[in-house]
Amino acid sequence: MTRIRPHSVPHLVPHGPELALSRLGLRYPQRGSEAEVVALRDITASFPAGSFTALVGPSGCGKSSLLRLLAGLLSPTDGEMSAVTQSDIGFVFQEPTLLAWRSVYENVALPLKIANRKLGLSAQEIDTRVSEALALVGLDARAKALPRELSGGMKMRVSLARALAKRPPILLMDEPFAALDELTRFRLDDDLRAIWQQQKPTIIFVTHSVTEAAYLAERALVMRAGTLHAEIKIERPKEERPENDADNFRAAPNFHAACAAISEALAEPSGRAS
Amino acid sequence: MHASLLRLIPFGVGIAMLGIWELSVHLTQVPIFVLPPPSAIGDALVDNFATLMGSLWVTLRITALAFFWALVSGLTLAIIFTRARLIEMALYPYVVTLQVTPVVAIAPLILIWVGFDHVDRALVIIAWIVAFFPMLTNAVQGLRSTEPQLHDVMTLAGASWWQRLYYLELPAALPAMLTGAKISGGLALIGAVVAEFVAGSGASTGLAWRIIEAGNRLEIATLFAALALLSALGIALFYALTLLEWLVLRRWHDSFANTK
Repeated sequence: MTRIRPHSVPHLVPHGPELALSRLGLRYPQRGSEAEVVALRDITASFPAGSFTALVGPSGCGKSSLLRLLAGLLSPTDGEMSAVTQSDIGFVFQEPTLLAWRSVYENVALPLKIANRKLGLSAQEIDTRVSEALALVGLDARAKALPRELSGGMKMRVSLARALAKRPPILLMDEPFAALDELTRFRLDDDLRAIWQQQKPTIIFVTHSVTEAAYLAERALVMRAGTLHAEIKIERPKEERPENDADNFRAAPNFHAACAAISEALAEPSGRAS
Repeated sequence: MHASLLRLIPFGVGIAMLGIWELSVHLTQVPIFVLPPPSAIGDALVDNFATLMGSLWVTLRITALAFFWALVSGLTLAIIFTRARLIEMALYPYVVTLQVTPVVAIAPLILIWVGFDHVDRALVIIAWIVAFFPMLTNAVQGLRSTEPQLHDVMTLAGASWWQRLYYLELPAALPAMLTGAKISGGLALIGAVVAEFVAGSGASTGLAWRIIEAGNRLEIATLFAALALLSALGIALFYALTLLEWLVLRRWHDSFANTK
């Protein structure tokens, strides 16, 4: 599989706004019952520009709902969040969510074409952005392929390229590599780290994998039953250089300490009855 | 066996059946007005070639027009239904009513309303009633079955309803719509024949009328010739639509994944 070439393209992503959430809640009515389902409760957090946060938690803890709130795909029922325009957001789903009848290139270009009423880009600029995004994920050679001709990992790269082509200051990722085999996932994790180190978008990465969270992010927010349960900072060695970042950290003591801290937070008895 | 040889099997079966038919008619001395041999049917086809081709053209025209309007109305209504639940709820029972009422029972009414001045128009309307329902239901189902996450992709891109329809829903619904079109095409032909039968003498000059006429005159070979042309028309229609389906879907759709 092609590896990404972090230094092959110019700076893509402009610095974005800080995202702030204050006592955010999400409730919805339950069918056939007066009681409401509380999906999210009392979430207060901030995501500084250029930060990399992992949202970790068991299935059904509300991490995907939180991400969809941040993307504007859901509206909160309580609390406040900083206003974000959808054009500032790149979203990567758990599935590649590609249009089967469009080529790799056309899939990546589609959001730009659609948003172009507002963006006003020339065809040349769209082409440049799409080519850059494809180069960034190492798929420029497969631009003409159809999704069904690609492996699962390659499809995920296309999905990532589609999000990056918008040059969004904020990248929201909902368990994007969870369905892939472990080797492919490690590779894509490395690539994502490299893209982040080079471009510094704000990344919020949902995962249920403790090791993936500890490996990727600067901090992990542990979620339990719709609430933020713990915040864990992940210290990387100071002398780290982007070039050998990937090789070192999985073996570093800090990585194992972070894994242990996240696991502990996940296992602790919850403060509230769930 | 070689794949291309396998494809010839249906033709071989056809030729063998015709041979058996020809032979058994000669051997058993069945009267020609009960069951003519294939050779007599061929003769009838040649003798009445101009008339039969004229009739074929009439039936083809009615079928094609009914099919065209079935596609247009089915798709338009499907788009409206999938955008406005209220309109669907209000209209759907009547669409079903139109579909389940036997068309033979409605046909005389349509012939009285429209047929006095424009017989062809009445025939097209009758055939259209038979043909449009599968197009509508398949298109509705296709438009509805788009993956929710693909809709999210469109929402995040800021797509208008028109862009959502054009870039996502219509292409995603293509396989279902083509299935609907295949069924509608066959039904348009059936509808055209039923319409001609109901319209009866003098009003129509299509293949169905030739069949009635030949039956009345006990020209059974001509009747068979007209019947063969009707079948050929139906087969041509079906395979034309199958070819279209293949051309449109083969590159990306899973149903063609193993037929490179």
